[in-house]
Amino acid sequence: MSATIQAPARTSALELRGIRKAFPGVLALDDVDLVLRSGEIHALVGENGAGKSTLLKIITGIYRPDEGTVKVDGVLQSFGSPRDALQAGIGIVHQERNLIPRFSVAENITLEQPPVRNGQWVDRARMRQESERWLELLEVSIDPDQPVENLSVAHRQLVEIAKALSLRSRILLLDEPTASLTPHETAVLFDILKRLRDEGVAILFVSHKLEEIFAICDRVTVLRDGKEAALDRGLETLDRDELVTLMIGRAEQVSDFQQRDLNDALPALELRNVTSSAGPTDISLILHTGEILGLYGLVGAGRTEVARTIIGDVPLLSGELMVDGQPARIGDAREALERYRIGYVSENRQTEGLILSHSVLSNVAMTVWDRLANMLGWIQSGSERSAVAPFISRLQVKTPTLEQQVGNLSGGNQQKVSLAKWLAAETSILIIDEPTVGIDVKTKHELHELIWELSNQGLSILLISSDMPEMVQLADRIVVMVDRRLAGTLPNSRDYDEMSQKIMELIHRRADPPGTEIPPELLSAQ
Amino acid sequence: MRVATLSPHRSGRVYALANREWVWLAGIVVLMSIGLTILEPNFLSQFNFYVLLRGIAVTLIVAYAQLMVLVVGQLNLSVGATGGMVAICTGGMMEVWGLPALVSIALGLLIGVAAGLANGLLTTRTGINGFIITLATASAFTGITIGLNDAKPYYDLPNRYVEFGQGRIGPFPYIAIVTAIVGVLLWVLFERTLLGRQILAVGGNPRAAELSGIQVHRILVIVFVISAVLSSIAAIILMARLGSAQPSIGSDWLLPSFAIPIVAGIALSGGNAPIVNTALAAFLIALIDNGLVLTKADPYWIQFLLGAIILGAVGLNRLRAVREAKQASLS
Repeated sequence: MSATIQAPARTSALELRGIRKAFPGVLALDDVDLVLRSGEIHALVGENGAGKSTLLKIITGIYRPDEGTVKVDGVLQSFGSPRDALQAGIGIVHQERNLIPRFSVAENITLEQPPVRNGQWVDRARMRQESERWLELLEVSIDPDQPVENLSVAHRQLVEIAKALSLRSRILLLDEPTASLTPHETAVLFDILKRLRDEGVAILFVSHKLEEIFAICDRVTVLRDGKEAALDRGLETLDRDELVTLMIGRAEQVSDFQQRDLNDALPALELRNVTSSAGPTDISLILHTGEILGLYGLVGAGRTEVARTIIGDVPLLSGELMVDGQPARIGDAREALERYRIGYVSENRQTEGLILSHSVLSNVAMTVWDRLANMLGWIQSGSERSAVAPFISRLQVKTPTLEQQVGNLSGGNQQKVSLAKWLAAETSILIIDEPTVGIDVKTKHELHELIWELSNQGLSILLISSDMPEMVQLADRIVVMVDRRLAGTLPNSRDYDEMSQKIMELIHRRADPPGTEIPPELLSAQ
Repeated sequence: MRVATLSPHRSGRVYALANREWVWLAGIVVLMSIGLTILEPNFLSQFNFYVLLRGIAVTLIVAYAQLMVLVVGQLNLSVGATGGMVAICTGGMMEVWGLPALVSIALGLLIGVAAGLANGLLTTRTGINGFIITLATASAFTGITIGLNDAKPYYDLPNRYVEFGQGRIGPFPYIAIVTAIVGVLLWVLFERTLLGRQILAVGGNPRAAELSGIQVHRILVIVFVISAVLSSIAAIILMARLGSAQPSIGSDWLLPSFAIPIVAGIALSGGNAPIVNTALAAFLIALIDNGLVLTKADPYWIQFLLGAIILGAVGLNRLRAVREAKQASLS
């Protein structure tokens, strides 16, 4: 490791050592270091869930680390709030939009430090002027008096960047800043970042787009599963494949599921050129009976939106849905369940999957109450228990009693409860969205075995996951989505290296199509 | 709190029982009764009990009207206005139109259903919070109440109806029978029926309920209708007890409608329906009222006390929620 840390002469503006942060059930960061020097652009990369966001939240004072130190310019800091971090000279462009929708562009840009006159009166003219300056620098024409809620996503992102720039922070963090920018806007941003770097600003750049990282970053830190896979490596010493290998790591302990060819099985669910108002565009896919069809893509690729379209949670704009070979019109989740026996296990088990304040019993029984009730709407006492108990024992949910509040269970057991609900409902098609996020290895393994077993029993499963090893292990075929469209469908050879390579190629071919490259003259250092 | 930490080792039933607020509420009611007996032996008189119970008979139904809506995480500011409107309409049908009592009552309840439908449909169709919708409809209903008969009461109500309202067996007023039936029906609703469970699920997490195939909007409309019907029942028995249909009926219901469920420990975020506790809390608040009267304290202090009790109860609930969250994150 020491060979790779060739400490340049520049001072370290930000230094994190031995950072540890645990959440109930998850160790998000385990002994992570990060060194950021003035006058460099440092990439922070890693897969979804690797701990990047948690690390950023620690740097900006949103979270406190359980262990470890944060130094700014060599001085030990203990940020209690985002304001503390701001005052220490750290600015951030957030991934999730952090603007106030009803405020004007100018009000948002100058929110942290509004220009004042006579000590306390907000100087609107100067507010406008300053905002215009930063927007001009970004080469974007936005009326500073417009409320932010009227802007496109790309423009909001630019306003967010202008806001961070206006603080003239010496340390600038950018979390996926280019996610919705055009190539030209990206190029302009990169030009600005390079000028800032040359002026001595320390920049931390978080992105999934590897081309961008190689285009403007000097050094890189790679996170994997809450630990650093590479610390402060010079990017000139790495090529793209090496970086991908560092991010993904070797395949985990994999249960060996055999290869199946289910292409001749009857189609259980078919999407024909489906476009929905939630974003998915022209999606066509076939899920065969008893098959596990993987749906892979980066966050924001539109996978969950495909699921929500299937269950009627968002309306279909065009295209056709077929269930068991018949055209299906699904208006809401109730119809999906009652008429077509389709269930959706949400990726957000706490906000969409479960009622945390209710018992295990109620949570699982929710989908079968209709069936348990007699004509008068009466539910026999005890009928719920006998409907629920078999699934609780089959999934080995660890709970003292069925009356236990679901909110008191561990993440893994909560996930099992939200799955049990759909097994009890006797669905024939199940959409499972990110089933193992934030779940310990053992439970993850149990869930994989269960999903496999269910498909062998004839359940057709659409598996959405950002976890590449999980995908390669479980799916019979893998559909890859990029930017709300299909990038391709791959038969799964179950060879991890081969599959991850193929998937990444599909993603990056779509993400950086030829002809939209960043103009080289903007990327060359001055 | 210690009960909660020990309980996972016990059986679920014991845990559920020991952790229930009703033990505490019942204890306080008993202690207060003993205290009042010592202070004022008249407290134990049959007549005093009658007075106590006939008050509770009305306020408990009013509290249930609010509870229904609190269960789904909404607020209903029109409980009193609905009651007033139903009272004046029903009284008018009896006096002006000379309709039989039962027919008038049935029509009065239908007006309640209409008021509930208005609240429910406006809330679900517009997506505006029920707080704002019922603030507006409360004003509209009150306008109807006052406009219909120039804010004048109706006195000429059928004899048997008024006899029912004022009659009693020993300390038990007849109207308390209505309240008891309402309480039992609501308990059955939440313990034993599909609808009750769906209401609780919508209150606990509307999004999870929707994705599990529950028709959230339909449930919300039903809840607002039940709430308005309960307000109407409260108004109809109060009219019988007073022997007249006053336009002021319901004008003082809002505060107790919130205070009683809150003292009963309802989660303002929705998802639980403490039917038994709400009955106990209604007793508790009636006892405080009664105690102030018996001890000849200034009756205006009841208002102050109610406020203090709401704050105290909310504070206690909050404290417990915070501690439970801490415990959950430790385990």
